[in-house]
Amino acid sequence: MWLYILKRLGAAATTLAAASVIIFIFIHLIPGDPLYVLLGDGATPDQVDALRQKLGFDRSLAVQYFSWLSNVLQGDFGQSIFFQTPVLSVIGDGAETSILLASITMVWIILLGIPVGMIAAMRHGSWTDQGLSGLAMLLASVPTFWVGLYLILIFAAWLGWLPSSGYPSIFDDGGLANLQHLLLPSLALAAPNAALILRLTRASMLDVAREDYVRTARAKGIRPWRVVVRHIFRNALLAVVSAFGFTLAALISEAVVTETVFALPGIGRLVVQSILRRDYPVIQGVILITVVLYLGVNLCVDLSYRFLDPRVELE
Amino acid sequence: MRETLHTLLAPFLARRIALLGLAITLLMIFAALFAPIIVPYDPLEIDSLARLSPPTGTHWFGTDHFGRDTFSRVVFGSRLALIIGIGVVSFALLTGVPAGILSAMFPRVGWFVMRAVDVLMAFPALLLALGLIVILGQGVLNAILAIGVVYLTTTARITYGVTLRLRAEVYVEASRSLGAGTVWLVLKHILPNLVSPLLVQASFVFAFAQLGAASLDFLGLGAPPDIPSWGNMLAESRIYITRAPWLLFFPGLMIVLTAFSLNLVGDALRDRLDPRFREALGTPRRN
Amino acid sequence: MTKFPKIIGGAVFAAVTAFAASAMAEGTLRYATIGEPPSLDVQVGTASLASTISQHMFETLYAFDAAYDPQPMLASGEQVEDDGRTLVISLREGVPFHNGQEMTSEDVVASLTRWGEHGSRGGLLMKNAVSLEATGKYEITLKLSEPNGAWKNLLAFPNGGPVIYPASVASAAGKEPIALEDYIGTGPYRFNEWKPNRHVELVRFDDYAAVDSPADGYAGARVAELDAIRFIPVPDVGTRVSGIQAGDYDYAEFIPGDLFETLDADSAVTVHRNGAPIYGLMFMNSKDGILKENRKLRQAIQAALNKEEALRISIGPEKLWDANGSFYPKTSVWYSDSGVASFSEGDAEKARALAEESGYDGTPIKLLVSTNYQFHYDQATVFTKQLAEAGINVQLIVVDWATLLKKRAQPDQWDIFFTHHGSVPDPVLITVLNETYPGWWETTEKEALKASFTGTADIDARRNAWSDLQALIYDQVPAVKTGDVYSYNIASPALKGIGDSTVIWPHFWGVTK
Repeated sequence: MWLYILKRLGAAATTLAAASVIIFIFIHLIPGDPLYVLLGDGATPDQVDALRQKLGFDRSLAVQYFSWLSNVLQGDFGQSIFFQTPVLSVIGDGAETSILLASITMVWIILLGIPVGMIAAMRHGSWTDQGLSGLAMLLASVPTFWVGLYLILIFAAWLGWLPSSGYPSIFDDGGLANLQHLLLPSLALAAPNAALILRLTRASMLDVAREDYVRTARAKGIRPWRVVVRHIFRNALLAVVSAFGFTLAALISEAVVTETVFALPGIGRLVVQSILRRDYPVIQGVILITVVLYLGVNLCVDLSYRFLDPRVELE
Repeated sequence: MRETLHTLLAPFLARRIALLGLAITLLMIFAALFAPIIVPYDPLEIDSLARLSPPTGTHWFGTDHFGRDTFSRVVFGSRLALIIGIGVVSFALLTGVPAGILSAMFPRVGWFVMRAVDVLMAFPALLLALGLIVILGQGVLNAILAIGVVYLTTTARITYGVTLRLRAEVYVEASRSLGAGTVWLVLKHILPNLVSPLLVQASFVFAFAQLGAASLDFLGLGAPPDIPSWGNMLAESRIYITRAPWLLFFPGLMIVLTAFSLNLVGDALRDRLDPRFREALGTPRRN
Repeated sequence: MTKFPKIIGGAVFAAVTAFAASAMAEGTLRYATIGEPPSLDVQVGTASLASTISQHMFETLYAFDAAYDPQPMLASGEQVEDDGRTLVISLREGVPFHNGQEMTSEDVVASLTRWGEHGSRGGLLMKNAVSLEATGKYEITLKLSEPNGAWKNLLAFPNGGPVIYPASVASAAGKEPIALEDYIGTGPYRFNEWKPNRHVELVRFDDYAAVDSPADGYAGARVAELDAIRFIPVPDVGTRVSGIQAGDYDYAEFIPGDLFETLDADSAVTVHRNGAPIYGLMFMNSKDGILKENRKLRQAIQAALNKEEALRISIGPEKLWDANGSFYPKTSVWYSDSGVASFSEGDAEKARALAEESGYDGTPIKLLVSTNYQFHYDQATVFTKQLAEAGINVQLIVVDWATLLKKRAQPDQWDIFFTHHGSVPDPVLITVLNETYPGWWETTEKEALKASFTGTADIDARRNAWSDLQALIYDQVPAVKTGDVYSYNIASPALKGIGDSTVIWPHFWGVTK
């Protein structure tokens, strides 16, 4: 077991190291110059050169990479070119929004995806099942930004029920009430992902239901709902847990567009804006942290799998 | 002849809703092929006097702020959707399948290839595509490449998984002990068995490539803005959402329908798939 | 199982009721901006948004009144001696900085010195400076080697202009942008905080010393009625609009023309049209490529364009654009109609003939444009079509703004590039006249006219010289003006006191909520 964890950690570290090189090289291949964006239309070549020297962009790529890497290992992600503040604090400012958005979205996904998936599975083959499955497939095919724009139009502009955009921190005036700003974006973000979890719940419940021990339980006369809860649901949950890894990755990707549409001060929009501004240190920092997060979650998922279901052979 | 047709259609006849998916897909291909004959207007024709018209008898889906006919642009948009879909699927298959087979057949090389795939998969897909586009520059080909790289990883993994299983199967082992070469093994036993799982994968990749391309277009980094793609139409019209809400409706609907129909097709095909391979397919989606 | 919907419903209901109406401090104005501003050090930067924000914190010696006439702001008066070569400017007494220190001539000299050396527009005035000295606690003297007729305009223009910082801040900064903690000025609002992607917040400066005259344009008394102003980045325009309609913001900028009529009729929104236009400019490459020395081909391109069509499509309502060929609107002292007959001919035949005469062989002309500003791309698309009708092939190179800024500095990458500029109080500030600006227009005729334009302080002589320069622009075509665009912003009807903004940057002193 410990050997397994060590091995997995080693693999993750290798992946991370390779990823860091790719991130660094990729980002410096991006055409366009952050200095012109920073200094504006009227910048003179002298000003640009001076700033380039100050930021260390006149050094070779390899030197820049290793100085970046050694700083990152000490927890220093460098300075944002655009904001002139440490990258970690820029990312930290966006983290509240993104973490809360992801959490609320996850709540929707679980509240909608799992129960409805169970209903569909229990009514397997019926019109309810077919209708729900079809609807899920439809939702999984909808671009989140398109839904987002119409949600804003209907609920914010026409009905005026919910705020259209933005997100003041819950630590600001308004407190927890500010969470209502995240209601529409989390719904837009949840729709396709809840649909996938719904389908997954349904499929794994059906699979489990065919297994021998469930049939045995039924044959023993255990009441149907107890069979569902104790055997089928618990086992189906396993499959769903394993899906959280890729759901998280999906959320990070889709948050990029969703945060843009809803003008949320989160990390997704930060990365798009930083790409447009060529704010290399911020892009590098965000992507690196995302990769670490992704690898970490996947490791946790795999390990929890082992604990939840001893039948799973690792390796 | 009749028999063959029946086998081909079997997965769809079993599920009515899948038949709908197939019909929409065929309709889209038809629209793409015969776009110039179908459309009432040139999709690029600018008419400054007829801007932002709501849907009417002359402009069925209304017009955009250039006065261009939305219906004609939506029809022409199916061409780009088809090109993107076919392009991404081809790229993913042409790179992912060899990589997957190679890795499964030669475990030493395979270790490196699959680690490389792991590294690529550790990046959020849209960010990966976004980064590639910014480096390569805007363009249809580059958009295909950027999205293709995302699905190269899943395709390679699936191929790898299925090939490993096949390799372990008795008959392959047996023919190997009889002295069959690797090339012959791959051609005779592995590739034919890969066809159906890859067909399923291809339909899903086609569907999700539409969503990926639309996201890139929406962020202004997809197809060049002078090409009528559904994503570009959404990006250009989004500022008119309150003024002319219908402008965004039709292109968005087309994206949904295309992705939906191919998902249905893929789903139906998967249900008919050999259960041995179903697990290797896992989840087709990568965002 | 069937209980699930109810449970979900209950949870949603509980969640919604928990969200009490959000209460934002009453006296805070929330301004939805198009994006994150760059550094607010406006001596160095020229971004519009930075000017909008920083004018509440930093002030200049002079400020424009509603008629574009510069009036004393931090200055109290001036004496012009030696035919305009010596300027003695006296300063107001008892003006405190946000850090409590009083502003004196030492601060002004340090600020003007830095502006002259590193400011974006500082060279226009200071390159001919012989000396700049504090000649009293409240008096400075600037000596020039030759008179500069635009001096007061240059001292009043805040964008890339000579705002006054404390001497310690100005001399410590040098060419670096000023750090956040050193945002110290004399304005009615002071810097409070900058949370990236969230907001920049200014709060009222209680010890502000206002000019003793009524508010007039940017000049006169500035009264801070609001407790705070928050500039919140909201890049998506649809979101900015619905945010005002829903009451999430009080003021929003950069609203597209096509929403004008709807918003104008909407009682939940008030519309504020800017008094001064911006205009698109297509710069021609004078250093490299097919247009380098081919004046006939440039004229062919100019003749092919129908700018009215492009404006109608890209902007929409006629209230918001004016197919005006003069670089200044009719109300300006700089208005001139010389050369403007060639502004918007839209004559494909004439263009075809001129192109033939120029020896044009159908080689694609590279037009560099960005989609970050939609009207750039929209107009470029219309022009491409019009040029095609005259047999001139245009290859659109569509990039993002950061790439455009870099590419346009490389002469071999483009033939034409698209940008826009705001109104400037003096033609000397128009970039077309600047030979180091990409396009690099430098001909003997232009240099001669430009010298006679800047070398005199006589207003009539300057107006005539400018008129000739404008005619030359239409003849040599270093750039094509694409027409005046009046941007407008929207606000909540609760905001009171927003006058007709006479210059591009809206200000919020004198405004209540």
